[in-house]
Amino acid sequence: MNEFAVLAQLTVVAMVPYLLASLGTMLGGLAGVFSVSQEGVMLLGASVGFLVSYGTGSSTVGILVAAAVGALFGFALGWATTALRLDQFVVGLALFFAATGLAGLLYRIVIGQTATTPLVDTLPRVEIPLLKDIPLLGTALFSHNVLVYFAALVTVGLWFFLYRTRAGLNLRSVGENPKAADSLGIPVVRTRLWTTAVGGALMGVAGAFLPLVYTGTFTEGIVGGRGWLAIALTFFGGWRPQYIAAGALFFATMDVVALRAEVSGIDIPSQVLLVIPYVATLVVMVFAFRWARVPEFLGKNYDRESRTG
Amino acid sequence: MSAPVLTEPDALAPARPSMAARVIRGVLPYVLALVLAFVVAGIVIAALGYDPIEAFRTILTTSFKTGFGFTETLTKWVPLTLLALGFTIPLAVGRFNIGGEGQLLVGATAAAGVGIVYADLPSAVLLPMVIVAGVLAGVVWAGIAALLMGRFHVNEILSTVLLNFVSFQVLDYAATEVWSDPAAGVAATQGVGEGAELPTIGGPPGVHAGLLLAGAVALATILVTRRTSAGFELRAAGTNPRAAAINGIRVERVAVIALIVGGALGGLAGALEVSGVHGRAIEGMQTNFLLLGIIIGLIARGSAVWVPVVAFGIAILEVGASSMQRTVGVPAEMVLIIEALILIFLLLSDVIAGRLARRVA
Repeated sequence: MNEFAVLAQLTVVAMVPYLLASLGTMLGGLAGVFSVSQEGVMLLGASVGFLVSYGTGSSTVGILVAAAVGALFGFALGWATTALRLDQFVVGLALFFAATGLAGLLYRIVIGQTATTPLVDTLPRVEIPLLKDIPLLGTALFSHNVLVYFAALVTVGLWFFLYRTRAGLNLRSVGENPKAADSLGIPVVRTRLWTTAVGGALMGVAGAFLPLVYTGTFTEGIVGGRGWLAIALTFFGGWRPQYIAAGALFFATMDVVALRAEVSGIDIPSQVLLVIPYVATLVVMVFAFRWARVPEFLGKNYDRESRTG
Repeated sequence: MSAPVLTEPDALAPARPSMAARVIRGVLPYVLALVLAFVVAGIVIAALGYDPIEAFRTILTTSFKTGFGFTETLTKWVPLTLLALGFTIPLAVGRFNIGGEGQLLVGATAAAGVGIVYADLPSAVLLPMVIVAGVLAGVVWAGIAALLMGRFHVNEILSTVLLNFVSFQVLDYAATEVWSDPAAGVAATQGVGEGAELPTIGGPPGVHAGLLLAGAVALATILVTRRTSAGFELRAAGTNPRAAAINGIRVERVAVIALIVGGALGGLAGALEVSGVHGRAIEGMQTNFLLLGIIIGLIARGSAVWVPVVAFGIAILEVGASSMQRTVGVPAEMVLIIEALILIFLLLSDVIAGRLARRVA
């Protein structure tokens, strides 16, 4: 494989955690619930995904349990902000703390202190016959683990659902104008509950991706800000799957460039390379916040009896 | 967006609530939250096969059994209070400063830098320089986020968080390239000069004099927010931005200043950690101060009066946590869960108390 093919393949892999976490954020956000617990839910997904895979020997079970735990946290956010109408940011932060604490605690309980690092097998590559032989892009696109294909399917599936079906339109109306949606008989609360739950599940899987694809083990710093970057990505992508995918490509490229430059040993301090993704994001945000449109009721709770909302 | 936790959930209550209703609303949530958090945590601890009573006894009493424990608690109280205030001051205008970690680290780096470069200066000159350097670094760090927020409407949650990750590398650069100390065993800068170290009060073992400074800052915050026109503008801009703007308060400017003040406090916390505790800047020295600062700020509902009190309680839990891990065997991470549970149950109890109070009134 030539240099370009290798880099392209790495970049596609690096897109996945950003993409899944951001799509999860987007889904809840389009219904009006803004989550800020990504970083914690991803860490919990990484911890649970790793531990279950380690215990059962099956990474599939690990991923599913990580998704379930993420869904639980997403549902908790949805419930607390609809049934109880608590502030979305405050609840999101509280869940972020709880998930962060739980992630570390679970690892400590199951693994404890060990001399050797416990490892699981990383997900195997599944090559798609014929397609992978396409020159230049074949291996970059069609020689990956299952989660990469899953992320691609979710992206396309969500785009189709949100912009090509009536149910998707209804969902978006809940985030744009819940009162109007309510008056048309669209169940506002139920929509917010399932979107935050599914969104949380995607964040959990995004977290599980990290140990199961990158490292084979869990460390406390494994998420490394990807959860927060996913929020930035969601704004940057204007809350639409196709632009979020494009943004994820940008974020992943930053990751790979930083990694690559460090390995190649060019004469730049490694610290400068490592801040590239964060600084680039800040710069991009300046423009993103100018043009990106945001669901009208993002972050706002809906009270059917309120006269002003 | 208006300040979420500062506005009392009284909008629907009758104009003059009865005494009983006020007690229910004010005290009940805290009692409920504490009891429920410890009950749930106790069940978890018991399920793990440890003795919950013994674990809680260790957590709650370590701080008071020995002079060392109490000193450690007060030492922890300093950065916790400063970071919590750094979170609540912008929160009063409805802005979330999630960048306390980064502000602390650049403050620590700058303070250590000054303390190393001018190591030979006498304490009377060097110590103020070190502290001012830390504060200024925090101001610059939060200032970036404030500028992005004020001029380009970049969400401050994101900008402050992303700057945390940049700050890790700033400290790493200082600790490995500029003032590295290979003998330290961990990634850390060299030690600062003797003149940069804060004197110890009380003891032995005693607490560094930064305690007084942090106490003064906490007191000043109370006075400024409650007794000055600047504090009034801050609260007005948070409670009802529209009304505030109509009455000539420049809400956006208030928010920018509040965020920068928050950064100054984070930088101060970093400087005090360097000159009072470690004598150098160490990677990872921020531990989980950021999370704890936010938890404290939210539990105190943004009140400058309650932040120091809640911070003291959390410091007790934190000091007890490591002791619990040593003696009872329960992982110290359990305490972060307890703290998160207190916050979550406090939010839930608010709802319950609100409904109860309405029925009583």
